[in-house]
Amino acid sequence: MDWLFLAEVSLAGIGAGGLYALTGLAFVLIYKATRVVNLAIGEILMLGGYVFFGFAAGLALPTWLAILLTLAVAGLFGGVVERLLIRPMLGESPISVFMLTIGLGSILVGVVELLWGANPLQLPDYMPNTPLFIGEAYVSAKVATAFAVAAVTVVAFLLLFRFWRGGVALRATAGDQAAAYSMGIDVPRVFSLAWVIACITAAASGMLVGAIGGISPTMGVFGLSVLVVVIVGGLDSVLGAMVAGLFIGLLEALTGAFLGGEFKMLATFTLLVAVLVVRPYGLFGTHEIERL
Amino acid sequence: MRIGAAKQTYAADEALFDTTVQRAWLIGLFALLAVFPFMAGPYWVYMACLVAINIASATGLNILTGYTGLVSLGQAAFMGVGAYTVAWLEVNVGTPLPLNLILGGVVAGLAGMVVGVPSLRVKGLYLAIATIAASVILHFVFSHWTAVTGGVSGLTMPPGSLFGLTLDEPHELYWVIVPVTVLMVFGAANLFRTRIGRAFIAIRDRDISAEVLGIRLLRFKLLSFALSSFYAGVAGGLWVYFFRVVTPESFPLVMSIFFLAAIIVGGMGSILGAILGAAFMTMVPEALKLVVGWMSPWVPDAVALLSPVRTIVFGGLIVLFLIFEPQGLAEVWRRVRRFFHLWPFKT
Amino acid sequence: MTFKLSRRTVLAALVAAGLAAGSLAPQARAADDIVLGGSIPLTGVFAFAGEGIHAGIQDWVKMVNEQGGIDGRMLRYVPEDTAYKVDASVAAFNKITGQNAVNLYYADSTAFSKTINPELERNGKILMAGASFATELNDPEKFPLQFIAGPDYTEMFGILLEYVSKEKPGAKVAFVHSDTEFGRDPIASSTERAKTLGLEVVETIVTPPGSVDVSTEVLKLRRARPDYTIFHGYVLAPIPEFINQAKQMGMETKFMGTFWSMDNGIVMKMGEAADGFMGVMPYRYYYDDSEKAPMLEKIRQMRPEYQSTAYLQGMLTAMLMTEAVKRTLADGKELTGPNLKASLNSLKDFDTGGIIGVPVSIPGNSIPVGRIYQADMKQQKMVPVSDWIRLDKAGG
Repeated sequence: MDWLFLAEVSLAGIGAGGLYALTGLAFVLIYKATRVVNLAIGEILMLGGYVFFGFAAGLALPTWLAILLTLAVAGLFGGVVERLLIRPMLGESPISVFMLTIGLGSILVGVVELLWGANPLQLPDYMPNTPLFIGEAYVSAKVATAFAVAAVTVVAFLLLFRFWRGGVALRATAGDQAAAYSMGIDVPRVFSLAWVIACITAAASGMLVGAIGGISPTMGVFGLSVLVVVIVGGLDSVLGAMVAGLFIGLLEALTGAFLGGEFKMLATFTLLVAVLVVRPYGLFGTHEIERL
Repeated sequence: MRIGAAKQTYAADEALFDTTVQRAWLIGLFALLAVFPFMAGPYWVYMACLVAINIASATGLNILTGYTGLVSLGQAAFMGVGAYTVAWLEVNVGTPLPLNLILGGVVAGLAGMVVGVPSLRVKGLYLAIATIAASVILHFVFSHWTAVTGGVSGLTMPPGSLFGLTLDEPHELYWVIVPVTVLMVFGAANLFRTRIGRAFIAIRDRDISAEVLGIRLLRFKLLSFALSSFYAGVAGGLWVYFFRVVTPESFPLVMSIFFLAAIIVGGMGSILGAILGAAFMTMVPEALKLVVGWMSPWVPDAVALLSPVRTIVFGGLIVLFLIFEPQGLAEVWRRVRRFFHLWPFKT
Repeated sequence: MTFKLSRRTVLAALVAAGLAAGSLAPQARAADDIVLGGSIPLTGVFAFAGEGIHAGIQDWVKMVNEQGGIDGRMLRYVPEDTAYKVDASVAAFNKITGQNAVNLYYADSTAFSKTINPELERNGKILMAGASFATELNDPEKFPLQFIAGPDYTEMFGILLEYVSKEKPGAKVAFVHSDTEFGRDPIASSTERAKTLGLEVVETIVTPPGSVDVSTEVLKLRRARPDYTIFHGYVLAPIPEFINQAKQMGMETKFMGTFWSMDNGIVMKMGEAADGFMGVMPYRYYYDDSEKAPMLEKIRQMRPEYQSTAYLQGMLTAMLMTEAVKRTLADGKELTGPNLKASLNSLKDFDTGGIIGVPVSIPGNSIPVGRIYQADMKQQKMVPVSDWIRLDKAGG
């Protein structure tokens, strides 16, 4: 057994897992506040990557400005989508809303192809590129940076949920909409807020993912792995998304290293099925009790 | 103009086609289907076959999603199971075509039942995602069980034959594909006049209530999965007779989304809906192609716009129908019919 | 209520317009034209190649017709976009063959070439070639009416391995490929071939489609310490990140690629890290003026800006097809698939006008010729580092 190799692989896996956790967070945020399963999350992530590309490479803006503008555009996009598409569907069956987000994803892919073409592109290099060694173990600088950004964001979110007024309102809405309403919380605004923040988060992870693997209209596939993450963690649990994100990242890296790349998807989805059968509401999700 | 029909028996009330006019229209439709391959060019016959295959599969999905309320994103993968079964039988055993189609359906149905097992524990979106998992796992099986599926290069098979005739052209296969599809559609329509069909609908409306009423959820949910996958399997079998090669890439996840989109656009929980939806969604890309063709003298590079526009239209149709016409094309159709019921006395 | 009705009306109108548009079809044809149909991936994931192929065929058709066509008969190109989807491609084939008497056809993918093959044999009037270099297609028994305008993927690997075994006998090589039909194509046969050449295949790494982070794979590669690493089944990503991380780890391995990742434009996109990236290319690059090449000169005249290797592939395919038609007509034979293929197989030391640097013959379904090029980031060009390697002559 080569312990150094194992350590390096594990670090790489946890690094990638950070990205899963961050994107999973965007997903959970929307689900928690609005009960919408947003399957377009992978495509919103892609959009983030492309918008950043447009600002940084197309308009040649400085990186920091491009990042800020991308986040702003993503926030605006989230708000608009919520108002135009999600709000009219309030009270419809969850399945309809879920299909709606699939439709939205398809539209986004088309729009991106229309504007930037279907060919894969490289984002301008904005991340440090000097290799990093933890002890003797090598870690890719980009992955390490991405992990650090993801970790900071996730922690920031946890703090916001705990102490910020809006965060508390969001948790209250997630707990009981009617009660939140009667306590004077503007629930529709919380819905908008959730979408805005979630889209910003997704765009941020899009920039990170794009910097590592390049961008292409098909990078929304990343969302599929994220789906596994949130189901395993529990759809409405921030903690679950974090733990499951890191765990799935690790699982993928280890399967990739010891079984071969073709087994990665198989491993994650087998885990998904196992979790669904054993703990249908995820590791940390709330078990809802149905009554007639 | 049509006036109310007086019905004296329950059987008459439950009949699929309750008036003479409807039956006349139906006969007209069959006549049209029968003369179509002689009137239309090869390309349109080809499209007709494709539409029929998609209708068969969409009808199956409608049983599961539209009538039983269980969302599945695995329909394409089950079609794949049917297609591989048929291709394998055709290459290695050489059994006759009708038997192959049925076996393709049965194997797919069994696979569907296995996938349906989680539906006892989870429902709604969790279930939808479980079916995504099933399609990923099936895809893995298709591409790695080389001994049976031929691995990544898939299976190529000789043309099917029926009554000693070799079926290798669309206008020959038309006579297999369209009748099978018609049969399957009628089967589905009749299903919902039986106890089983009504049990499905009860489960869709509220599964706990259904259970209280004495419907065994386990049995009927699995049955619904099996039936829907059987339809997918037969459709997959027709598909492979049509294309004669099947690879792991033949049935991607996008295709499952396509079928779900088809029944949404057509109208969930309506036989007519699945037919209209599948036909409409199959023809839209072709229509777009023509529109782009007309635009090309004025718009530079119009052809390059086609694929993104197609993707946008596909998503846009799902979104628009969900927001503005949740009952789908079937409802539009009903409205048009209702309008003509009293025409010309009321406009 | 009125609002609701109007929204519905709009929707209904949309539906009606869609159906109406679907029921009409424009037509145009001339009786004795030679028709070159094409399923061309002008959009979708393979668009970068499709655009080049499209332009290449168009330019060739223009050149032929300006010189009076083939034996007085005009060459007509009837393309249709497929977005690199097999069903769209089959639909395009049916549409084009339904509306024209097609003699030649350009196929966009391996899956399509395989799917349509039974139909092609039944039809019996068409000679087909395309964007696929799949090893499977290089079998005149199974695919009698198709050919490949270059070496198949296994032969590309063969050329690379031949080069490696000359440069460093007994070298350790690793294969990195995607988990697709395209990616898996040459791996098994090339592992065998490497053995017979005395090379050691120390690692074979598979990456799932759409994988983002390749750290794990690079770590695996580092453990194997190969002298040469051959990528196959990719266009751009994840090659740049792979090379980048490998260089950071101080790996000495030399990276190589096959046809579709070897276009000058694509390699230059990989950035500084890709300096020294090598690979096999059966054609000469657009800017190559080291030797006399009338075709390349003509192309540079027609299109002053850089043209991709896909352009050259499209043009060469059309050129070989035209030559087959010319020879069939000269022999006074009917233009059927088998006759066209027989004429194509009769090509002996055919001069491609410099697109391929040596005269070529097509005894079977492919042209097993290629050359090793290396990326020079300072010049922003791929430069040749070997002579033309011919597997047919070398007894491979």
